[in-house]
Amino acid sequence: MNNLIEFFKKNFHYFLLAILLVVSIIMIGKSMAYSKYKFAKVCQNMVGPIQKNWAEMIHRFSLGKENDQLTQQNIALMREQENMFIEKDDTLRHMMTPTDSLHPRSIRLYDYTYAHVIYKTTDQAFNYIIIDKGSKDGISRDMAVTCPKGVVGVVSDVSENFSSIIPILHPDSRISAIVSPINQVGTVVWEGNDPQVAYLENIPQHLEISLGDSVITSGFSNIFPKGLLIGTVKEVAVGKNASFLTIKIKLATDFRRLHTVYLLENLYKSEIDTLKANFKNE
Amino acid sequence: MNNTVSQILRFIIVLLLQVFICNYINLFGFATPALYLLALFLLPLELPLSVQYLIGFASGLFVDMFTHTLGVNALACVLFMFVRPYFVKALNGRKTSETTDRPIPGIKDFKWLITYVTILTLLHQALVIGIEVASFKNFGHTLLTIVANTILTAFVILCTEYIFFPVKGKS
Repeated sequence: MNNLIEFFKKNFHYFLLAILLVVSIIMIGKSMAYSKYKFAKVCQNMVGPIQKNWAEMIHRFSLGKENDQLTQQNIALMREQENMFIEKDDTLRHMMTPTDSLHPRSIRLYDYTYAHVIYKTTDQAFNYIIIDKGSKDGISRDMAVTCPKGVVGVVSDVSENFSSIIPILHPDSRISAIVSPINQVGTVVWEGNDPQVAYLENIPQHLEISLGDSVITSGFSNIFPKGLLIGTVKEVAVGKNASFLTIKIKLATDFRRLHTVYLLENLYKSEIDTLKANFKNE
Repeated sequence: MNNTVSQILRFIIVLLLQVFICNYINLFGFATPALYLLALFLLPLELPLSVQYLIGFASGLFVDMFTHTLGVNALACVLFMFVRPYFVKALNGRKTSETTDRPIPGIKDFKWLITYVTILTLLHQALVIGIEVASFKNFGHTLLTIVANTILTAFVILCTEYIFFPVKGKS
């Protein structure tokens, strides 16, 4: 008996080795054969949450690339929106030369591209934004600048590789706008201090404007297409200049968190501008 | 005493590194370093054999839990720990064991170490990948993966060893 115990003690590691090998082989066999292996489930429940959090953290490193892909996809979708085209209701010609493209009777008026903000100010009296694309990338003066949330501003100067933007947050910025339900045209201006608040001017006093009405671009300036969100009405008051209302609007764009912007080009701007120039009163 | 604590700490750190970083590395689409073998390579040789087996099994199973291959690494590690003492004996040759026989730079020379690390890693990787694939389909690719993993792992382990155990007093 003593001998047996002695033998067992002496060769314990061999027994252990055999047991461990058998256990791992059983585990391999089970986890290959059954998807309902209980121990595998227990392990999954233990490790799963840790792994999930870790994967999310690692995912952050590739977010930049993913964002670029999403931006490109967004642009492809936005290029097909209705306000990018003008209707040419040329029924007669259409009947004679039928086309089967996506927008048979409309021509493209606006085109999109995108850029990244590399420098910006939001809390000065004269704010500006610099983006990483310039004339080399097809950016030109007076292109409209928007972001996913709303309108940003207008391109003011273009160099070879960079461009500067006059955002809404600039005293010179004037954007033609309409208050949504009543379709009254006004102008959005900024009067300093708060990068979240601007004013809507030229709305006559007799009109009823309620809080929360959305203010969108009018499309009359030939810079912005119609229907881009600028902001929502925050406060309505009777102005000192009795014939107009003073309307405070909350800007839709969060200028402090601006990173990717979309640029819109009016493809026929010069043509329309030549026509406009004939009227000297502008 | 202090030495033991630092050894245990090192062991845990290496395992965590494996699970949280090395498992996500996928060089050229197939090479993943098995850095946690470093922890097994550095285990003191004079530990009781049964303890060595248990440590191998536990660390293998720990890695398995994160790669959803229960048992594969555990089996490979137990066999690894089983083979290791014989392999060290064979490498040491006639020279009977010195007082401090530790498989680290400074005590063993580079040739000894690179053989020790490469052959044992090859064995381990062949087992792990062989069990996972479990077929002779695409044998070329399997072989390539084994070799690539072995080279990468051996390289990473040797570098780490030489960084953390600098060879002192070399004239």
